[in-house]
Amino acid sequence: MRTIITRAFIVSLLAGLSHAVLAHHSFSMFDQTKKVTHSGVVSEVQWTNPHVWIFIDVKADNGTVEKWGMEFTSKVHLARRNFSQDQVKIGDNVEFTVSPYANGKPGGRFYTIKLASGQYYCDVGAAQKVCDDNNK
Amino acid sequence: MQANRFTISALTLALALGGAALQAQDARPVYPASSDKVSYAELDKLPDWRGIWQPNIGRITGDEPMLIGEYKKHHDEEQAKLKANSNYEVPETLDNCEPDGMPSMMTMPYSLEFLVTPGKIVINQEALMMVRRIFTDGRPLPSQDEIDPNYFGYSVGRWEGDTLVVETIGTKPGQRLGTPSITNSDQLKITERIYLDAANKDLLHLDFTYEDPNVLSQPWHQNHTFRRDRTWDILEYVCAENNRHPLDENGQTQADF
Repeated sequence: MRTIITRAFIVSLLAGLSHAVLAHHSFSMFDQTKKVTHSGVVSEVQWTNPHVWIFIDVKADNGTVEKWGMEFTSKVHLARRNFSQDQVKIGDNVEFTVSPYANGKPGGRFYTIKLASGQYYCDVGAAQKVCDDNNK
Repeated sequence: MQANRFTISALTLALALGGAALQAQDARPVYPASSDKVSYAELDKLPDWRGIWQPNIGRITGDEPMLIGEYKKHHDEEQAKLKANSNYEVPETLDNCEPDGMPSMMTMPYSLEFLVTPGKIVINQEALMMVRRIFTDGRPLPSQDEIDPNYFGYSVGRWEGDTLVVETIGTKPGQRLGTPSITNSDQLKITERIYLDAANKDLLHLDFTYEDPNVLSQPWHQNHTFRRDRTWDILEYVCAENNRHPLDENGQTQADF
């Protein structure tokens, strides 16, 4: 009895897992079925807890500029995953991919970023393949 | 004259109150963890838990919670909402940068640090900079009604060989118990057995037993493991530093920037 976990309960544990991984809030505000990629110029970097934010000015074809917010995990996690503040500077040209906010706001959860250096930095999990394929 | 009488009365009252405060302080017991006699040599006999400990996320074993009453109803309802909408978020205090207390503070996806002192073990949880104290000086576990319910409860521990056995009561009702859709009542008792793996000294086991007569028809077990890192220290994590996500009236996190 002790080691039996029913299938239903495993599902409920997994539902809780995504919340546990992010720690501060769930992934529910992101549409994780989608990935959106844009290029633009870094306008602001907030190297903070509970989340690091990088804001990027994205120019549309008609010339208007939209400010996108890319939400990372905490600066604690990023420090341990070898991503530091000096790798992204205001004015850098970057390409980024996010799981967008479900409510349509211009932003989302960080997936990958191609830095001004040409190197990619990628989230843990499936995104790592992008880094493996591009960072030679 | 009137003013003088008032001054004297106030002075008398202040002295009386001061005396009462002193008396109350004298009546409080001094437990060994804070006594004026101490032996640090005792610590040499304990296992080495230094470094920081990172959870093996998702590798939880144990048994199924046998939920009852309104707690089963709440769990079933929240699970139905999740099933109907994968973007649904079970409302929790943590969403608002509030500490989630015991037992969840032990299993956050951040690091733990154990500070072992004579008669007292302090555990730092990196996420939200949470702290709990476990008294290992032989003091008794108070009764539930002696504790003002709080996030981390009141913990008393003892060493059984190299295993630390901790009993905790007095946690606030409504905190997360094991998984987001299960919460505790004011009768929760948590027992933890914490020990190094026999074959791997860099693997720490934490076996929980939850007992709550209002929530569970029988004790519920959850077993977690942690891996040691001797290269890092705990890092600062102030949740209020830049929390850009307010909750709406239904406890759902809003993207707001």
